[in-house]
Amino acid sequence: MSASHVAQLVALLRKDLRLELRTRETAVSMGLFALVAMIIFQFAIGQRADETTPFAAGIMWATIALTAVLGVGRTWVPEREQRVLDALLVAPVSRLTLLVARALALVVYLLAVEAVVVPLAVLFFVRGAEPADAPLIALVCVLADLCIAVVGAFLASMSVFSRARELLLPVLLLPSLVPVVITASGATHAVLGPARDLAEFRGYCVFLAVYALIFSLVAYATFDHVLDD
Amino acid sequence: MAGVDLHLAWGGRVAVVGPNGAGKSTLLRMLATLLRPDEGTLSVAGHPLPAQARRARGLIGYLGHDPLVYLDLTAWQNLELFGALYGVPRLREAVPAALARVGLLPRAHDAVRTFSRGMAQRLGIARLTLHAPELLLLDEPYTGLDAAGGRLLDGVLADVGAGRGAVIVTHELDRALRLADEVLVMRAGRVVLRAATAGLTPDGFARTYAEVTG
Repeated sequence: MSASHVAQLVALLRKDLRLELRTRETAVSMGLFALVAMIIFQFAIGQRADETTPFAAGIMWATIALTAVLGVGRTWVPEREQRVLDALLVAPVSRLTLLVARALALVVYLLAVEAVVVPLAVLFFVRGAEPADAPLIALVCVLADLCIAVVGAFLASMSVFSRARELLLPVLLLPSLVPVVITASGATHAVLGPARDLAEFRGYCVFLAVYALIFSLVAYATFDHVLDD
Repeated sequence: MAGVDLHLAWGGRVAVVGPNGAGKSTLLRMLATLLRPDEGTLSVAGHPLPAQARRARGLIGYLGHDPLVYLDLTAWQNLELFGALYGVPRLREAVPAALARVGLLPRAHDAVRTFSRGMAQRLGIARLTLHAPELLLLDEPYTGLDAAGGRLLDGVLADVGAGRGAVIVTHELDRALRLADEVLVMRAGRVVLRAATAGLTPDGFARTYAEVTG
């Protein structure tokens, strides 16, 4: 990636974050959704089960995946509503740079959501969590967020010109996130669960990294055609 | 579009006129690399599309009916973004200079959402010219502009020449004759008339236009 690509990437990412800071339409709605979902899970499961630690990781990552659908659905909305898409597409920016900027913005939003969801999940459902677990959970979050962001940004761009995008996007995105949810839940459970298993944790993290890499390569190979055709 | 075979001289000003649905905007969007022709070949400044679209894009300035700027960013932030995308050097000086040219420097840090339609379109002109494009592609660019904005755009187009060309889609026949060196009349996806504007009178051209567009 050349210096001009990096400058364009920084400009696009800064634009997304500025728009979010001004409108607060994506991260805030994602955060509120995640907060409400965690509270619902707490009432539905947390108060009725004696031992909720085994379910904590699943609850947490299912919530994050559903929250991600909200964030991914907002991708390209300012460009569509404010009719700016043509200006971006006619600029001498590689389509891949547009995708990477979108994906990085999604990672930022997801990390903000996880700053709410993870402590709540630990508070509501986990017994015996230790501060030393935090860096490991943070690693899972970063890897899983990369997976969600790459797939999400890619599918959102595929559906941006579709009339049925509100329906199409969740239908495409959620099944694609199933491996991420399973693996991230496994990695989280390996750390927070009753039997701490770091070997299993490493295996899950490698899977997440490979998943992110494969989808990044697919996006790299096809994204020019996705936006140009 | 069908059967369109055109070579537009670099540095000239070409106006494209025609009734609704004639294919004017489609032609412009193809030149802007926003649409691909199903068949045939297309190149801008010697760069075949879509193979060298990115190189061609760096030479193009595109302005549509809308200003193509983010309403929730400020005027300054918009120009800063597009300046970075086009690799404009010394943005800190280029942005205020561009805003001053269109009379928006006092509103530089206001969100575009608070602008009138004409002010937003003036910001669109600033975005259009920020990277000193060699080819201006303008689709009904006078839409929403007040008299001052119209004069501003006239001034931008007056600078065309000496290596900078323009293709202007418009419904206004008088303006087409006034702005362009050459006029194309389109109908049903075809170019039905191509003529130099020198020597054409508004009344005579209006009659010819009515004949060729049916």
